[in-house]
Amino acid sequence: MPKLDSFTLEIKTGAKAGPEIPSFAINGFPLEFDSAEGNTQPGETIVLTGSPNSYPHSLVVIGPQNGQPAWDIESITATYDCSLMEPYTIRMGAVTLDDESNLNFWNEPPLPVFDV
Amino acid sequence: MPTWFKKVFNDDVAKATSPGVPASNGADAEVEKPVPVAPPTVDKPALGQPDTTEFEEPVKPKLRKIIHAPIIMDEEEQSSWSENIAIKARVEADRMTCVFMVDRPVLEGLSAWFPQPSYAEESSPLGKQLFAIEGIGAVLLHGMTVTIGMTDLCDRPWQELSVEIGQVIRAYLKTGEDTITQSFRDNIPPEDEIHLKLQACVDMEINPGIAAHSGVVTLERIVGNSVYLVMGGGCQGCAASEITLRQGIHNTFRNAVPQIGGIFDVTDHSAGSNPFYSELPAGMG
Repeated sequence: MPKLDSFTLEIKTGAKAGPEIPSFAINGFPLEFDSAEGNTQPGETIVLTGSPNSYPHSLVVIGPQNGQPAWDIESITATYDCSLMEPYTIRMGAVTLDDESNLNFWNEPPLPVFDV
Repeated sequence: MPTWFKKVFNDDVAKATSPGVPASNGADAEVEKPVPVAPPTVDKPALGQPDTTEFEEPVKPKLRKIIHAPIIMDEEEQSSWSENIAIKARVEADRMTCVFMVDRPVLEGLSAWFPQPSYAEESSPLGKQLFAIEGIGAVLLHGMTVTIGMTDLCDRPWQELSVEIGQVIRAYLKTGEDTITQSFRDNIPPEDEIHLKLQACVDMEINPGIAAHSGVVTLERIVGNSVYLVMGGGCQGCAASEITLRQGIHNTFRNAVPQIGGIFDVTDHSAGSNPFYSELPAGMG
């Protein structure tokens, strides 16, 4: 299991806006993003950075608070910077986060694939 | 002070429980004298009388469900399958196993597991040819994949071994013949029978064994002779769950029904109400 030093998360919002400043949790422990550029209004993109410096089993974007409207996410691009390896990027598709859900965006480093 | 610290130890609580702490550290702030606080009075039952005080049931925080977004493959990766038999290989994290992904079915609807050459001798012509390659210790045929296990003594790198494996798979699939024999197919029990026998293993052997770790295994489904299971309770999210699966559950299942093929863990190890690590309850964060 790699040690995740830092990550960058680029979230493009779909039709429904999200929370003003989202937060995240690593292995159930809540933390705040180091920086946030952009916004979560419909059609807009927000770029978030975090520095967990730990070994993630789960790494989640916390969904809207109780009673808040659902957040329509169109796409996510996550770049993970782990110790002792090159950074890698994973692209994810559409998903809707409501006030009862968190989005797990942790992805292990992809295993190398080669042609035979 | 980090924001999370404030959430846990918010100012109001800190002030209420520290009567001697001044309201501000500024130079002009008036220093308040500590005010003695009387302990709260509680009506205690008379000596010898039972305590009938009713306590409110604590409200359990609502657990949030964990969702995943679909991963999007690169277009280049998707379009690289050619009209010829294209094969891609992926060495698994244990370095002892390599999955060969073929662009067409190898074995549809079933899976075939050969842990040593003798198993494939009469059951799978493709398996038999693969075992002829030096260093191959196990073969699993399933859907559009061929999973190869290396022997413990093999020191050949996968890059070298995979060229030979690819040639064998490609040459065999071009013949158009079935990858397993008809007698092997005929010997596979129906799904209901497999389910019944494996459920007995789960109930009588596996779950009592892992109960000490608050673990529980559930048979999710049987497709053909492939087994899909879910590991819950303490097994969910536990780093040792794969060892439990490979060294314990696999052997138990294969002893009970030797004809089963692939055994797949379909647990979402990042979700659940009681995994080894807990997710945030709704409303927190």
